[in-house]
Formats: sequence, C-alpha cells, structure tokens
Amino acid sequence: MKDFNNSATILEIVRMSTEDGPGIRTTVFFKGCTLNCAWCHNPESISPKPQLQWVGSRCIGCKTCLSVCRENALTLTEAGMQIDRTRCTGCGDCAEECPGTALEMMGKIWPLDDLVAEVIKDRSYFETSGGGITLSGGEPAMQPAFAAFFLKALREKGLHTAVDTCGQCRRDALEIMLPYAAMVLFDIKLIDPEAHKKFTGHDNRRIIDNLLFAADYIRSHVHPSDMWIRTPIIPGATATPENIAGIGQFIAAHLNGAVSRWELCAFNNLCRDKYRRLDQPWVFEEENLLSKSFLEELADTAKRSGVDPDIVFATGATCLSDN
Amino acid sequence: MTVPAKAVSQQIKTPKGLSERIKRLRDYYFKGVDRAWNNESTSWTTGTPWDIQFNEITFYIVPETYMLMQTLLSSYRQGARPVDLPEDFWAKPIVERRAWFIKEVMVRYLPKEILPGDLIAGGRFNIQASMCLNKDEQAEFNRLTTGKKGARAAVNWFHGHGYGNAGATCGHLIPGYERVLTVGWQGIYKELEELYARLTDPDKKSRKGAQLRAMMTAAAMPKELAAGYARICQQLAVKEKDADRKSELIQMAKNLQKVPWEPPKTFWEAVQSLWLTHMLIMSDENYPGPGVSFGRIDQYLLPFWEYSMKNGMSREFGKEILKCFWVHANTAYDAMIRNGNQGITSGFGQLITLSGLGKNGPDLTDLTNDLTYVMLEVIDEMSPILEPKPNVRMHRNTPDALLDTMVDMVAESQGAPFLINFDERSMAGMMREAKTAGIEHLINKDNVYEYCPVGCLENTMAGNDRSGTVDCNLNLLKAVELALTGGKDLIAFVDPMTFKTEKIRQDGPETGDATRFQTWNEFWEAYKQQNAYIIKKCVDLYEKSESIRARFLQTPYLSCLVKGCAEKGLDVTQGGAEISFVTLEAVTYATTVDALLAIKYLVFDEKKCTMNELIRALKDNWEGHEVLQALAKNRAPKYGRDDDEADTMAKQVMDLWTEETWKHRTVSTNRRFRPGMLSWNYWAGDGYVMAASADGRKKGQFLSNAICPSNGADINGPTANANSVGKALGGKDETIGDWEDYLNSLPNGASHTITFNPSIIKDPEHRDKFKAFLRGYAQNGGTCLQVNMLDPEMLKDAQKHPQDYRHLLVRITGYNAYFTSVGRELQNEVIARLSHERF
Repeated sequence: MKDFNNSATILEIVRMSTEDGPGIRTTVFFKGCTLNCAWCHNPESISPKPQLQWVGSRCIGCKTCLSVCRENALTLTEAGMQIDRTRCTGCGDCAEECPGTALEMMGKIWPLDDLVAEVIKDRSYFETSGGGITLSGGEPAMQPAFAAFFLKALREKGLHTAVDTCGQCRRDALEIMLPYAAMVLFDIKLIDPEAHKKFTGHDNRRIIDNLLFAADYIRSHVHPSDMWIRTPIIPGATATPENIAGIGQFIAAHLNGAVSRWELCAFNNLCRDKYRRLDQPWVFEEENLLSKSFLEELADTAKRSGVDPDIVFATGATCLSDN
Repeated sequence: MTVPAKAVSQQIKTPKGLSERIKRLRDYYFKGVDRAWNNESTSWTTGTPWDIQFNEITFYIVPETYMLMQTLLSSYRQGARPVDLPEDFWAKPIVERRAWFIKEVMVRYLPKEILPGDLIAGGRFNIQASMCLNKDEQAEFNRLTTGKKGARAAVNWFHGHGYGNAGATCGHLIPGYERVLTVGWQGIYKELEELYARLTDPDKKSRKGAQLRAMMTAAAMPKELAAGYARICQQLAVKEKDADRKSELIQMAKNLQKVPWEPPKTFWEAVQSLWLTHMLIMSDENYPGPGVSFGRIDQYLLPFWEYSMKNGMSREFGKEILKCFWVHANTAYDAMIRNGNQGITSGFGQLITLSGLGKNGPDLTDLTNDLTYVMLEVIDEMSPILEPKPNVRMHRNTPDALLDTMVDMVAESQGAPFLINFDERSMAGMMREAKTAGIEHLINKDNVYEYCPVGCLENTMAGNDRSGTVDCNLNLLKAVELALTGGKDLIAFVDPMTFKTEKIRQDGPETGDATRFQTWNEFWEAYKQQNAYIIKKCVDLYEKSESIRARFLQTPYLSCLVKGCAEKGLDVTQGGAEISFVTLEAVTYATTVDALLAIKYLVFDEKKCTMNELIRALKDNWEGHEVLQALAKNRAPKYGRDDDEADTMAKQVMDLWTEETWKHRTVSTNRRFRPGMLSWNYWAGDGYVMAASADGRKKGQFLSNAICPSNGADINGPTANANSVGKALGGKDETIGDWEDYLNSLPNGASHTITFNPSIIKDPEHRDKFKAFLRGYAQNGGTCLQVNMLDPEMLKDAQKHPQDYRHLLVRITGYNAYFTSVGRELQNEVIARLSHERF
C-alpha cells in the first residue's frame, strides 16, 4: 500500500449522508481495510486496489468490453458477465469504454486538491446542520498521510471533520490524523478477542489499545472533542447480550469523558448484491433484517450495561413485519 | 457506508378534530356527483341564434382538451338558459354588456342556497355566460378563433409539432383583496365614480368611459348578491328551531348586509367579504379558480383575527369559519363534476401564501404570526383536501417552530404545505424584473418582500400585477431539434385524427447543414438562432389569442381588483394592470441542456460518432443505435449533479433564452414577456409529441420537468441537485447580486421537485437534518421547492386497488392530484422517482 501525500484511492463520495456523524455530511469512503469482517456491508471497500464490478441491470450486451480487454478476462454468458479475477489486472479500460457504465471500477485515485474542492460543495448544508465531512471506509488510517493532509485542509477552511475508524491501525496513523479531526467515530465490534479474530481476521488487542489512546487524546486536547462508538448488530456474531453488555462495561469503565454516543447499527442485507457483483460468497446471504423487538432488547441491554443510558442509540432498518 | 433504510410504511392521512358541522360539510363535499346540491357550471344566453358561451381560448394551454373544444362549445350552447335583456343592451359596448349580463345572472338568475351549518354564504359561482356579442362581432370572433388561420389552428399546429402551447388564460394573479378589506367595495365604487366624473365628454363616449361604466356595474354586484344571501339567511333563521343555529343565521344576515360593500371589522365579516369577492372573479372569468390566488392571507386577515380574538371569538370558532371557507373553495371543482372526480384538470391553484419576510418596524423580519399557524392547523385537520393550496414562504431566518410544523405536516405526507417558496432567491428575481423592465417605481427593495406566488409558485406582486403566468409554455428542446436539421422537423408530423403524414418543410431559419459543422461553436450558433426563432414563434402564437381576448372578452369585475385598470380606463385583459407582463414558461429545460451536452460530448469532444450518425439515430428513435444511446445516457455529462462543466452549460442555456424572452412585447396590449419555469404537466404529455433527443431519450419518454434535472440524472443526491438549480438561476455574487448577493434570471420563479425517502424524517434527529437541508436550500437552491415524501409500496397498492385510495393525494409538478386519477404513466413516474439512492 503506497501512501501518497497528494492522492488517495477513494471508493465513493456520498453527499447528504445523515448516518455518519452529526448533521448533514459528505462521507468520503477510503478504499482498503485492515479488517475483514464476515458481515462487511461494503465488501468492495476491503481491498486497497481498485476493483472491477459488473452491474447487470445497466449492461446493454454490446460486448464493447470484450474487445477492449487485453487480458481476455471477460466472458459474457447467459448468467451474466464472468470476470476472471486471476487475469483482470484492474487496468480499468473496459469500464472506461462501457457505454452503459455496467462495468465499473470500484475505487478512483483522487488528488488532494480535487477532493477538497468536491467535498466543500455542500458547505451551506454543513453550516445549517452542524454537519461536515466524514472520512470513512474501508479504513482511512490505511492512507494516513493523505488523510491527515485532507483533514488539515478541511480544518483550515473551517469545516467540521470526523474520522470513522475500525481501530486496527498503526498508532502513528492516529497520531497524525487526530489533531485535525473534530470528532472520532470508533467501531467496537466484539469485546471477546477470540470471537473478534474469528469474525474479522484479527483479535481486538490493538483496537482496544488505540481506542484507549484516542480517548486519552480527546480528554487531553481541544481537538478532537468527541467520540461516538459504533457497534454493528450482526445476528450470530455481535448480536448477543453478552457482547453488548461487555462492550458497555468497557465503555463505562474506560471511556468516560470521551464518548458521547454509542450507536447500535442494525444488520442490513441490502449489500447482498455487492457480494454477487464481486463474485464473493457471503455467509449472511440468507439472513433477514433484525426484528424491531430484538434490536430494542439489545438496546435495553446496552442501556443497563453501566453506560449513561442516554448515549445509547439504535439505528438502521428493521423488518417491517415486526413493527 | 449508509445503506438506504427501507421506506417506512405510511398510512393515508385522515382528517382529524373536525366538529360535527365541518365533518358534515366535508363529507357532503366528497359525495361528489351524489350530492343534491352542486356548483356545476350553468350556461346562460342572450338568446340570439349565434350566441356562444364557451371560451375555448382559455383552454389552449390544456392540450388534452383540443379534441373536446367543439363538444364543450356545443353542449354549453345547448344547455344555455335565456336571460331577459334590457332594451338598450345591444347599443352598449361589449364590456358594458358583459358586466351587466354577468351581474344579472349572478344576482337574479343563479339560485342561492346556504348549506346546513355553513357559516359562509356564496354557493354557486361556476357559470358559462354569453359572450354578449352581436352577430357581426360573433362572426369576427369565430373567424379569428376557429377560422382557417385562426388561433385554434395555430395552437394545434404549434403543439402538434412539439413547440408547446400558448393561450390567453384566466386567473393567475393576486387580486386586490386587501383593498376590499380596507375600503370595501364602496371605496372601490367611489373611486370609479370619481375617475369617471373627471373624464371629458369625448372620453366618456370613448372606450375609456365604457370601461369605467362597466366596472361600476361590476363593482355593485357584490353588494346586490350579498343582499340576496342576507335575505336567504333571514328566511332560514325564521324557520330554524335550533337556537344556536338561528343566531348564527341572524349573524350571517347581518354580516352580509354589511360586507363586502363596507369594510369588515370582525374576522367572520372579513372571511365572508373575502369569499364573495373571490368567487365572483371565477364567475366573471367563467372559469373555476385557475390560479386566482389569495396572496398573503395570514397577513391581511390578521387585524380582523386579532380584533375578534380580543372581543370574545374563540380560536376554535375562528377555525370553524376558515374551514367553511375551505369547503367553499373546493366547490370550484364542481364545474365539470360529471367528467369525474374533479373534472378535466386538477389542482386549480387557489393558492394562499403563508409567512415570509416583511416590514414590522424598520427592519425586514419574519412575519409568521398566530394566523399562520391557525391556517396550517386548518389544512392539517381538513386534509386530504385540495383547495386552497398553501405555499409557505421560507427564508434564512424562518423560525424553527414554523419549520417544525411544516416538517410534521410533510411527514404525514397527505398534509400540505408541500410547496415552499424561498424569499431571497424569489425577491432577487423580482428585482431583476424591475430593473430589466424599468419599473423600479413599482418593485424595489422597499416593497419587493410583498411579492406572492400565484397558482403554484409563480411570483408576482399583489393587487396590481397580472403577468400571465401560465399563458406561454415553450419546449426549449425544439430549438435543439431545429439546429440539428437546419430549421425543419426531425420527423414528419402525423395528424392524430386523419393519420395523414405532413410533408416536412422549412419552418425555422436555415442555420446550415449540421453534419458539416467542424466545431461545437458552430452548432451553438445555430442553436442560438433557432432558440430566437422558437421564442418569436411562441410570442406570435400568443398574440392571436391575446388580441382576441382584449377585443372581445373583457373582465370588468376582475379589473376592479387590479390597480391600474381604473386609472387607465383599461381592462385587465387589455393590459390595464400596473404590472402587466406575459410569462414565457420554459419547459424541457434539463432535457435541452443534457441534449446539448450530449451533442458536444459525442460529436465534438469525444468524437464517439459523427453528427450524421447522431441525427440518423434520432430519426430512428435510437432503435438500432443502442450503443450510442447508452453513451448519450450514461457517459455524457448531465445537469443536476453539481458538476460545474454541465452546470455551466445550463447557465448558458438559461441566459440565452431568458435574455431573448425579455426582447418581446405583445402588439395588442403592449405587455412585455418575462421568463419563468413552471411546465405544469406538459413534460409528460409532450414527451409523446417530441422526437427522440440527443440526451438518449426516446420519443414517448418524458421530458424534464421545469427546472428539475432529467429523471434519474441527479445521482449525487438532493444537495447536489439543489446546488445545480441555484447555479442555473445565477447563483450568488456579492458585487452584482439582484437582491443582496442572490441572483435570479427567472422573476416568475421555477418549479423544483425533490422526492425524499421517508427515512429522512424518521426520528427527531433526522427531522432536524431535514430542516437543515431546507435552510441550506434557502442559501443555495431555487425559488420554490416541492417536497415529496412517498412510499412506493403504498403507491403500487394504490395502482392495484384504486377504490381504496380515492383520497390519496400526490404532488406532481407543483400541483396536487388524486393519485388514482392521474394516468398510469404519471403514476409509474411518481413511483420511479421515489428514491434518490442509486441502488
């Protein structure tokens, strides 16, 4: 992974995001993640490299891509486009030529100045809502120098910034980013190290260390001034009373004075198609949305775990049938 | 990353908190054709064999009716009842005949009834009255309208060939209601008398004298009509057994003996005065309420509200009076009640303006008051109901409490306000108008805040302004087609009645063979010429009906309520209003911009095809050219994404057509043209008329609506969409702003619809974000936003079970419609637009 100071691989920029921190936000999704969570809602964000995907509904069947591909990595069959991932070099030529934009490169190199110019377009809405820009991903700390320069440029323009991190990163990455972030969104997925390793590929030792560091940093500095903890509620993985209570106890014991909100983010199955497009299996393929009552029970568990109950929020879609 | 939450299922809104009285009146209204009483148009004749009642010109802007013109004309003629004429009737000029005739019908012929429990008098008002023309005049009128070179043939040609439509249409103004409440009709009458007395004898015998005499006749009508209703109330009071109702009827009689002739004192009198004054405009114009709008009703009714509240009126009774007024306004739809739920069209647009900036002391401040909230409560409790339709004026400092109320109502979906006007951008447009037209004595920074939207969102001043806000509707896209062909239709016109194919001919200027153009600039120059041509063509078409109306179809009663008419002795239909523009409403804006962007991208910048190949593809309706079509659709830049390259093109197109529009005036009435973007429902219907376009659209697919991006093009979400709209209007500039730093090329304003997923208002935290979006829109966006909040599942179910969704209101293009009554294509369109998320 190269970390150029003046450009980064960005998966997507989402404007008028209402779910990534306070107010109306523009969220910049960095490509590349240090974890490999089994439930990941953005599987296309895990690999740091730009990746090709095919969206069937946009394909007009013209086969322009087949003639463009120098590696013969593409085959159009009855079942749709077959991308031979062993051959595809990610050059992006096919996506460049695809008339229907059915072939799409996930991940684009953005120069710093261009990215700054793009994300300040909603400045008026940030000002009226108390919103700003959120660096998310993937893991922004995988491209730390760029992220730090980006945050600094935004700070100089008087914009509110948030860094959304999974915590599995080098300490020095946090050290250079935190001074320019107005707030931190920090994920705690599983409190048990073994379970963490099982579902994400790493135990949570480093994450916990970084979390304590970030909390100390917030307590002892003007910026960042706030931290929100986010916990994905995944059936069969994180969605157990033990895990939620455990995370709550940890927050209560170690993060006082640094955390103002703990969000329980309901599992979402709408990313099913993303896995299919990336030719990746997904263990949660058949999983339904959570029932509202189940999510509420977990929220109750969280509220009784020792944290200030007012900081607990349950977000995300639940089954309609259970309302 | 956030994934869109599934739409929250919504219930259809139901009325709430209605008293027995209002519930009865409302339920009765919704019985529709089953009612014993209704306000269906009755037809009245002078009794001459040549007499006609139906003025088709007013329907030229409704292409759906072109096929029905003769039928409507004949049926009103057959059903017309004779009115006894005075001996000197035919000796008088047309305007005096007409004033007398309308008054005679309204005061002496049309039955007057009070519905049980109703607190407001003024029932029937939909009439089709004789044009009051003598044989020669009628022959001339007929020649000019239905003759071979008449207005009807011209508008048919114009519409059939994809240019749009134009016609001198009724309503669409804010009458001087505030003046009636201040001086009463007696004050208006007195002024007319004085003006008439000051005329020289030759002037008295001239058109001017006739106009003032006709206006005096008309100005006496409200008094005589009110006296008739007062007698009915007295008679009912005598028979009434219930003591409470008896005293109400006695009070109503007292009110009617006083108003609208004298100025009102109490709230009840004021609302009674307002209703009678208003409904008689619809009688005078023979058309049920098309954009006859009330203006700042929460401001001019406030003194009466405060007076009555101080003197013992309960808030609930005040609302009860307003709710009766609401029911009355809806009876406008009875005009063609047998044609279905609401007649031919929907959303008549008797618009009320609420809140907004104004002077209350030396500084510009927010004018939200108790009555603003009362009106919103009335709408909320009565909904779903169509009229009167609210447009809430918002600005940078709108109080949070008002926004909360609005968002609550939006959240319930079925409740207005669905239209939000934005003061800063709107006032910038009005200031631009004043400067461009040299009427800064009439519109300036010391009164521009008194502007009001008409109909849906068309900004004008109040009481002295008629700016023909729906009269001219031009498909800008036609100029792109003509630039590709050097001034000819791309595909031959096929007559829908005879299926005969017309020979393609040279209609526009010869701008050269586009296939030989070497540079984008050459194409742009051709487009500029064709743009000037289609605007001139629209202006010329409008002249036909404008000159007929000015000559034969005066409205002296309405003229009493528009400042300038009495002073000039000139009817409002003849350009009598102090501020008298004709608005050219541009349709297909985004499709035009996107088509130009696609031509530039495909042929000149990226050289994906030759001009010849592109023209071939368009002639073939893209069939067999799917790759090129996909490139046009997906690869060419699009307006509406906050992409500066595309939005620069949008601004160039905007500057070009608006500056061209200002160059024109009507010949017969000397009204200058001004630009706006409304586009009503034409973007849907004309999509079947216009040839395929270079943006990838096939013939038969919808065009873009008003100032909105093309359907599906706004892939960067609502903020990007709004920013593009603001930039297209001119954006902001501290040195050259029209109003403060705001710029606006469209004094009329522009319709902008964004459909939100209901998840945006799912909880208090998100509601705050949505409110912040609206505040941001006030900074960056356009003049008027229509917020849609829809659930696709509910709409799909409504398609399957229309009988269960009779009251389901949806909002399309600035007007309300019952979902089940709009066409399937439009229904599908609403569903398709539901979500902004790309996946």
